[in-house]
Amino acid sequence: MNELKQICKDALSEKKARFIIGYKEDKNKRIKPFIAKTPEDAEQLTFNHHAVNNLAVYLPRFKNNVEGKIGIVVKSCDLKAVTALIQENQIKRDDLFIIGVNCSGVVLDIAKEFNKDNTQIKCKYCQAKTPPYYDALADESKDFEMPDDDQAELMAKIDKMTSDERLEFWNAEFEKCIKCYACRQVCPMCYCEKCIVEKSEPQWIDTSSTARGNFSWNIIRAFHMAGRCIGCHECERACPMGIPLTLLTRKMGMVASSEFGYRHGMSLTEPTLIGTYSTSDKEDFIK
Amino acid sequence: MEELIISIDNLKEIARELFNNDCRVIGTTAENKFKVIDDPEQLILNPNSVPTGSSFKEFFFPKTEPLFFYKQNNSSIDLIDPVIDKSRIVVIGAKPCDAAALPIISKVFNWDYKDDLFNTRNDNSLIIGMSCHYNDEFCFCNDVGGSPENRKGSDVFLKPLADNYFKAASVTPKGEAFIKEYQKYFEKDLGKNKPLVRKEENPNHFDYDKVKTWLDNNFENKFWDTAGEMCLGCAQCAFVCPTCHCFDIVDEQNGSCAGRRAKNWDACQFSLFTKHASGHNPRDNQEKRYRQRISHKFKYYNDKFDEILCTGCGRCSRGCPVSLDILQIVEEINSLSQKSNAI
Ligand code: SF4
Ligand code: SF4
Ligand code: SF4
Ligand code: SF4
Ligand code: SF4
Repeated sequence: MNELKQICKDALSEKKARFIIGYKEDKNKRIKPFIAKTPEDAEQLTFNHHAVNNLAVYLPRFKNNVEGKIGIVVKSCDLKAVTALIQENQIKRDDLFIIGVNCSGVVLDIAKEFNKDNTQIKCKYCQAKTPPYYDALADESKDFEMPDDDQAELMAKIDKMTSDERLEFWNAEFEKCIKCYACRQVCPMCYCEKCIVEKSEPQWIDTSSTARGNFSWNIIRAFHMAGRCIGCHECERACPMGIPLTLLTRKMGMVASSEFGYRHGMSLTEPTLIGTYSTSDKEDFIK
Repeated sequence: MEELIISIDNLKEIARELFNNDCRVIGTTAENKFKVIDDPEQLILNPNSVPTGSSFKEFFFPKTEPLFFYKQNNSSIDLIDPVIDKSRIVVIGAKPCDAAALPIISKVFNWDYKDDLFNTRNDNSLIIGMSCHYNDEFCFCNDVGGSPENRKGSDVFLKPLADNYFKAASVTPKGEAFIKEYQKYFEKDLGKNKPLVRKEENPNHFDYDKVKTWLDNNFENKFWDTAGEMCLGCAQCAFVCPTCHCFDIVDEQNGSCAGRRAKNWDACQFSLFTKHASGHNPRDNQEKRYRQRISHKFKYYNDKFDEILCTGCGRCSRGCPVSLDILQIVEEINSLSQKSNAI
């Protein structure tokens, strides 16, 4: 931990980064996002199993406002979001000072202790506990017990449903939505300056939280994540109504991978799935 | 008046009778969520439970509701009023920080325009409050004029006793009439069931008057540059909050030449909230929007309606995706106010 503080302190005093987006612990021992602007601020930076937030969500804010590099503390899974933002031209690699942290798993429920049953499913599939690239690296990764993937079971169940049953399942879930847009605000890949639900001339999507309005909103967000979601689970964690949003995004990620061999946020140079076409596509319409 | 008690089983019986009389019974179940109770057996009254994720305001001020419907007929347009549900609403087991919110927001809904939709439901409601034995690092009812025993907003108030009994007292004439209506379910208190007591008193965190004075004088203060810096601008906090009451009005088409005008929840943390048609936005960053949230709660609403727009339930903080904690923010203001006094 001192290592992380030291790295950040040095980065700030040596002006390698203008500020560092990281985590701090508040007086109730909650871990929360924090921007360290001075070497003294860096004293507060920390990292542990409760550092769930994907801090890449803050990067697009600084897109047109960079004098000096933006420092950011990332876990391996968060780095996918950083990579994806670079791939999508939202930020430049050269404008970042990336402080990778070796991760030993993060919690699902921030109010509870870290243990096997309180570990995010994504940690089970995490291929590199050490971020694949960085400008500085902190901490040691420790082995931890892998959680069960309850979601896989539910996904298999949904796969077996008829489309009517599936519609019924999702209607029941979406009905709970209150349109707080926490799922959108917390998502590093939802960076549009004007979201489609905010376009009112004409109004594409009902802003009301009716069955129709909720369905349109949740489905359009899912569509916009096709082949783009990097699987951080933040949307589902943020949803106050407990809607299992990552069932959709994860499924789409699996389809993107099985049908097109593509995973977003894995390479700085690979063209994005949504942004490219290939004449060898198996669908005819594209040719 | 004679002291009364009631058992949980009899409360469930009342719920059953109410339900059979087309009344909307709102209570919490095992999932600790407020919902319309159709099976009284599901009703749970637990003074030790954490405040529910969302408040029960949706039953008084729904997330969306029609103001009118329109339909074009050749050259004329018909306006059709919505049907207002006039059924009685009975909330069973509201915490003091939930119940207190209704009289607070009632003021804004009756300020210049009288909001029929809210008033109809509020007038037809009866709130059975219950003392609270829960307390966590997010709770602060006693700092904003409430307390775990506060009866504000309740018509009948329950105090938990041993063996699943509750001491019951009416708080308002409405509550008195209710107890009379269902008197067969209440028993005389013979003192057999000992009261359950809170483990410890709630701590005090800040001095509201000092916070208010600081807010009066510090609209421009560098504190605001960092207070809301990490806020993502969602509406989780406003939508789960029992006292947030902002709404938007939209027209929505449904089929050709028909549609509705609706009243939908809105929140000051959204970037569009204050955006003018010209494109100008006076609250053009999240820091300013967060200042609005805190100032409306702890200053403006008090200036206008003599109420703090917060009951200290802590919901907004428990659910905030970036763990922004409203109590810690107000505590910081409290210590800033002490510092400025010292100078
Ligand atoms: S859709 Fe959800 S899981 Fe995917 S990148 Fe966005 S917040 Fe993360
Ligand atoms: S976070 Fe949940 S409730 Fe809020 S808009 Fe998204 S799906 Fe709806
Ligand atoms: S304070 Fe938290 S819940 Fe409220 S808008 Fe900001 S991020 Fe969302
Ligand atoms: S502002 Fe937060 S603590 Fe205050 S009443 Fe609303 S949800 Fe509860
Ligand atoms: S705090 Fe914001 S959303 Fe809540 S009532 Fe005030 S202005 Fe509205």
